[in-house]
Amino acid sequence: MKWNSIQTKVLAALVACLVLGVGGILALMQYSFARNSQALALDSVSGSQKLFAILENREISKMIAVSDGLIMNVQIRDAFAAKDRPRLLALAAPLYPQLKSEGITNWMFHTPEPDMAVFLRLHNPAKFGDHLNRIMDTEIVRTHAIVTGNELAKAGFAERIIRPVYDSQGKVTGYVEFGEELGQFIHAMKGQTGDDYGLLLSKKFVDRQFWADSSATLKRRDNWNDNPSFVVADKTTAGDDILRFNGDLAAVPDEGTVLERYRNGNSVFIRGIFPIHDVAGRTVGAMFVVRDISAVYLEMRRTQIVLVLVIVVSLLLGMTLVLILLHRLVFKRLHRIIRVATRVVGGDFESAISVTSDDEVGQLEQLFEQFRQVFVDILAQFTVLQEKQ
Amino acid sequence: MSQLNDLKIRIEEKIAADGLDPVATRGKIGLKSGRLLSFINATTPDDPAAIAKMKIAIKEVLNINV
Repeated sequence: MKWNSIQTKVLAALVACLVLGVGGILALMQYSFARNSQALALDSVSGSQKLFAILENREISKMIAVSDGLIMNVQIRDAFAAKDRPRLLALAAPLYPQLKSEGITNWMFHTPEPDMAVFLRLHNPAKFGDHLNRIMDTEIVRTHAIVTGNELAKAGFAERIIRPVYDSQGKVTGYVEFGEELGQFIHAMKGQTGDDYGLLLSKKFVDRQFWADSSATLKRRDNWNDNPSFVVADKTTAGDDILRFNGDLAAVPDEGTVLERYRNGNSVFIRGIFPIHDVAGRTVGAMFVVRDISAVYLEMRRTQIVLVLVIVVSLLLGMTLVLILLHRLVFKRLHRIIRVATRVVGGDFESAISVTSDDEVGQLEQLFEQFRQVFVDILAQFTVLQEKQ
Repeated sequence: MSQLNDLKIRIEEKIAADGLDPVATRGKIGLKSGRLLSFINATTPDDPAAIAKMKIAIKEVLNINV
């Protein structure tokens, strides 16, 4: 192969185009793959956040329905209006185990303003008379309408509803409150999705001593010192791998964010986090989510590989086709012209060029054949002249 | 004696010795040297430039020094 031949140059140009084309396509597909992976990961975090919101709304509806039934109970209403704690406890206590089995872990009655103290805790009857001074308390005193939302108490984070209780004259006799620990939500979410979750609480909103006491009561390890800025309220995994986070919970965007994508064996996971706000809109916690995206991720990767192979093979076939066409239409015919010209000069005056087409090379063949005939004629005349001399 | 004709004889000897295609070989040398070997004979006048070009052509086509 001659390096300065047109054939070589065309081949080099085609190879360069192939390399550039494949390189460009690979880069484009890698970019597209990275974007799709990120979108998939974000969608996973977003999906978990939506599921959490759905569970929140469902449980709020449930607690409102329970409270509707409760305030219809005249005996309970009267006992509360009379501030007869033993009678109220006797009436309500039989109901509490059933509510607890339905996830309602907190049930409280509060005295009306201005005192606004805890009158009775069904989940801890011995403790009463304290003032919680929470945002929900302030809000219901202001509106006398149902207030719902997440409220971080000293020892834990719960979704709560609080509503006024009226006597027969329509006077507010106090408030009743129901709550569900948010920690139990993550287990319900895991049951529905198979994903793993971890619930964090910002230490700024949790009382240290209360956390230690509640840890002892619940017989869980006091994990206060595990992280500098947050405590793990609950998680669905045995290990703490999903809880690695060094950022500021307050800086986590409302729509959540993807922390990382990682492999574990043949599986691909994404780990994300989304914030949890309290009733005042403050970021008091966050939820980690770990989702196995292997099926979609690996399918995307497989599609990418197939596409790259198809494109490379197509380009190679196209390049081969161009080379074959060039060889048949141009180079092969040019070589024949050169061969005939060489033979004519070598003395074979009968070698003729057959015109195979009327294309550009065909015109050259025709021209050369005419030239050859003129040349042979001149040589014949020259030979005759030489013989005469 | 014509030197060009001597070169022509050397070419014919080489073609015969190596079993080369005589027409194609003569044609290649003719094209490279600018002379038709058919028209070279014992009376062909010597031209130093023509001889030099012929030697170069022989070297390139037959790879022999003459």
